[in-house]
Amino acid sequence: MKLDLYKEHAAEYKAVKKPIFVNAAPAQYLAVDGQGEPGGECFEQCVGALYAMAFTIKMTLKAKGQDYAVSKLEALWYPPDGGADFETAPKSEWRWKLMIRTPDFVGKQDLREAVKALQRRGKNANAGQVTLEKLHEGECVQMLHVGPYEQLCETITAMLAFAEANQRRQHGLHHEVYLSDPRRVPPERLKTLLRQPVRKA
Amino acid sequence: MRDRTRHSYEQRILRVLTHIQQHLDGPLELDALAGLACFSPYHFHRVFTGMIGEGLMEHVRRLRLERAAQRLKQSRRAIADIALEAGYGSHEAFTRAFRERFGAAPSAFRRRHAPLPVPDGRAVHYTPDQVIRFSPKRSSRSMSVAIRTIRPQRVAFVRHVGPYDAVGEAWERLMARAAPMGLLGESCQFIGVCYDDPEITPPERIRYDACIAVSGPIRPRRDLGVQVIAGGDYAVTTHFGPYQRLGRTYARLCGPWAARSGRELRAAPSFEVYLNSPEGTEPGDLLTDIYLPLMPAPGTE
Repeated sequence: MKLDLYKEHAAEYKAVKKPIFVNAAPAQYLAVDGQGEPGGECFEQCVGALYAMAFTIKMTLKAKGQDYAVSKLEALWYPPDGGADFETAPKSEWRWKLMIRTPDFVGKQDLREAVKALQRRGKNANAGQVTLEKLHEGECVQMLHVGPYEQLCETITAMLAFAEANQRRQHGLHHEVYLSDPRRVPPERLKTLLRQPVRKA
Repeated sequence: MRDRTRHSYEQRILRVLTHIQQHLDGPLELDALAGLACFSPYHFHRVFTGMIGEGLMEHVRRLRLERAAQRLKQSRRAIADIALEAGYGSHEAFTRAFRERFGAAPSAFRRRHAPLPVPDGRAVHYTPDQVIRFSPKRSSRSMSVAIRTIRPQRVAFVRHVGPYDAVGEAWERLMARAAPMGLLGESCQFIGVCYDDPEITPPERIRYDACIAVSGPIRPRRDLGVQVIAGGDYAVTTHFGPYQRLGRTYARLCGPWAARSGRELRAAPSFEVYLNSPEGTEPGDLLTDIYLPLMPAPGTE
């Protein structure tokens, strides 16, 4: 049976349409940082580089007998500079970290070999920007958003209200898990899991 | 022009239908029938399925059974002989197939005073007088098809020989070779080339190539080969859903669509481009582009 990290850590990926508390244990990700509009040129290049690395590493390890499922795309969103919020900051200034959760047995050496293999073929200029990062979010408010990405703020508002009512404040970056493929799921049915790390106020 | 091609596709299929009726006792081989209809053997079985609504061999088997039913009623020949004429080696196999189609065993069917079942209007049925009524299947829903001109595409590939539902093993071998070579880069394309009709070629001999498009130079090694997918015009349509149902989309593309298109099919295999991965995608959400090779449009050569 091949490893599926989302099933292995099912409690961390509980997806319901009301705010709940979850505890996110330390996790390892392939990650790449960037800035710009989602769907824009830089964003798409980073998505491409991240998937190229994720599949190159996965298939190389699978051939060596360590099989696992490549997880979904996730992203951390940095608050815009100067205290502006996502509503008012121009999309070109949005900063994000795209991530794919990866088993702990993937190491820096696997990463180096994948970059080398991809760059030998050319056309994979961004592969070298992908890094291996650990993230420990701990206590989080989590909620499933169903609908277009443009309406995420309504769900976020509900999550923050829930945190406040439970004497919690934000502690860490807003985190999104893209459960649906926007290329084939209509906007009104897109599923996105939203996670906000919190601590006691 | 379009009406003329449709007419031409229908005439060609009619030629085949007539030949089948006249040679129900013959071997009726795919290549010969394709030649008779001036279709490339790569596409003929799909054109046939698309226009008739059943596979070629299924059609032949059904007609032989219908002829057997007629002979049971209208002659006193032994059932064993009629079974043999219908292509069945054993009485049991014939009885089973017969019962499935006509709802009664051959002996009971012969005794019964009921007339032969009235054939439904659309399908092509066995007629002893060789007058064949044939109305090609029309597509009920419209089909979105684009004609694309593509450049020759070099691919690294692994050959699978065996049933279609086991092609996953070829993909595993291909991925295991391709990943360390850096071939799973950005925007890489996964292509499947199908050479055989699963209805005619025995499952253990069906050929399928699992391919990854490559740009730079690449050397074949072990079971990894390199080949070029021919450039030129292709009719392209997207199949939505499980791979098991690809056959239906092929049939609609090669039958009703091609017949209306004003274009001739080119003697080269079709191929499939997989737009998402069967791993981590629900079968109902799978997207596959089907590329059907076309001859150059008239007047462009």
